[in-house]
Amino acid sequence: MILDFIFSFLCTFGFGILFNIPRKQLVFASIGGALGWIVYSISLVQFDSVVMAAFTGALAVGFYSEIMAKERRVPATVYVIPGMIPLVPGYGLYYAIKKIIEADYIMAMEVGTETVLVALAISSAVILTTSIGRKIKRKAEKIMN
Amino acid sequence: MNKNEINRILKLSRRAGKILLENGAETYRVEETINLICNSKGIEDANCFVVPTGIFINIEYDGEYYSIIHRTSIERIDLERIAMVNNFSRGFASGSITVTEADKDLERIENAPEFKNWQIILGGGVAGGFFTLLFGGGPIEFSLAFLTSMFVIMFSLISIKYKLPFFMKNFTGGIINMFAALIFIKSLECFGVYADIDSIIIGSLMPLVPGVAIVNSIRDIISGDFVSGTSRMMEAVLIAVALALGVGTVLQGYIMIFGGSI
Repeated sequence: MILDFIFSFLCTFGFGILFNIPRKQLVFASIGGALGWIVYSISLVQFDSVVMAAFTGALAVGFYSEIMAKERRVPATVYVIPGMIPLVPGYGLYYAIKKIIEADYIMAMEVGTETVLVALAISSAVILTTSIGRKIKRKAEKIMN
Repeated sequence: MNKNEINRILKLSRRAGKILLENGAETYRVEETINLICNSKGIEDANCFVVPTGIFINIEYDGEYYSIIHRTSIERIDLERIAMVNNFSRGFASGSITVTEADKDLERIENAPEFKNWQIILGGGVAGGFFTLLFGGGPIEFSLAFLTSMFVIMFSLISIKYKLPFFMKNFTGGIINMFAALIFIKSLECFGVYADIDSIIIGSLMPLVPGVAIVNSIRDIISGDFVSGTSRMMEAVLIAVALALGVGTVLQGYIMIFGGSI
């Protein structure tokens, strides 16, 4: 588990450089990615479903990002985009290609469908947290005024 | 306000929107920023329509119409610039900056320092390498994926420099990825070291996979920007197809020439 945390932390860190994150936020964004991955792997064992696990993982990333965005005064996207990257189903894409080449179309369809569903799960979790964050922000602004 | 001032505000909002869109911001953020800039200077009736390939702004002031159309495209994902424009538009809306100063601010954002090329290449290597470890690779797979992803990122930097069409970029990226991984693995096999190709490819493919495009497209669709959403979705699907074609071509070629399976 600790090793997983370190690996996903460094993985998100690398992607943070690719996406040119503000340098002050790099470490915090990487912690978000690691957090998402840990939640993902725990719920993968609990629910035994990749789609559900990706959803909960992305939810964790989303909430973390909203809170950190408020704390450190940057748009939440800066944390969300690198954070959800470890959950993106690149492996599904590759397996689907491999199965198509091996002419195992049923397996390819199965993996491909799962890939699409995982992508949908991640983005719906991100949308859920973003819209909750925006609602809270508007409420807070109203109270402040 | 006279005509000249209104035109300057229009150009300013166009410039801010352009920076956001080219660096991969969501559609709603671009539209909100443009509206915020126009409204904060007392232009109540500002309408804008943003799609990933263009910005259309029209404002009405004192019975006159002013409009601007800007053709652009998404070039990369650069979260620092998005964050900077976001801060800028808030500062501008609070009214403490003049239009001339704001123009200078935007120019500074356009020329903001980026990571150096070697840092980006190293970052890509780290990202791909550790992804391989997450997907069950060992130390050998890690080092091979590290090298392969550095090659892929190097190529992707070159293709940005020469403005390759995105389909060609991803197709060639897939080919280079698979080719480099195969060469590394097969040359190691001559020394009696065996590596698992699957985890290497998965790791080094990750920097090219259109994860951000997929998430942004579904975000756009759910917030009601159907045109942007579907066009981003199309982009993501085409990138995935191009990658798959690239990887698949090399894989198929290898099986045809050397036989057996990977």
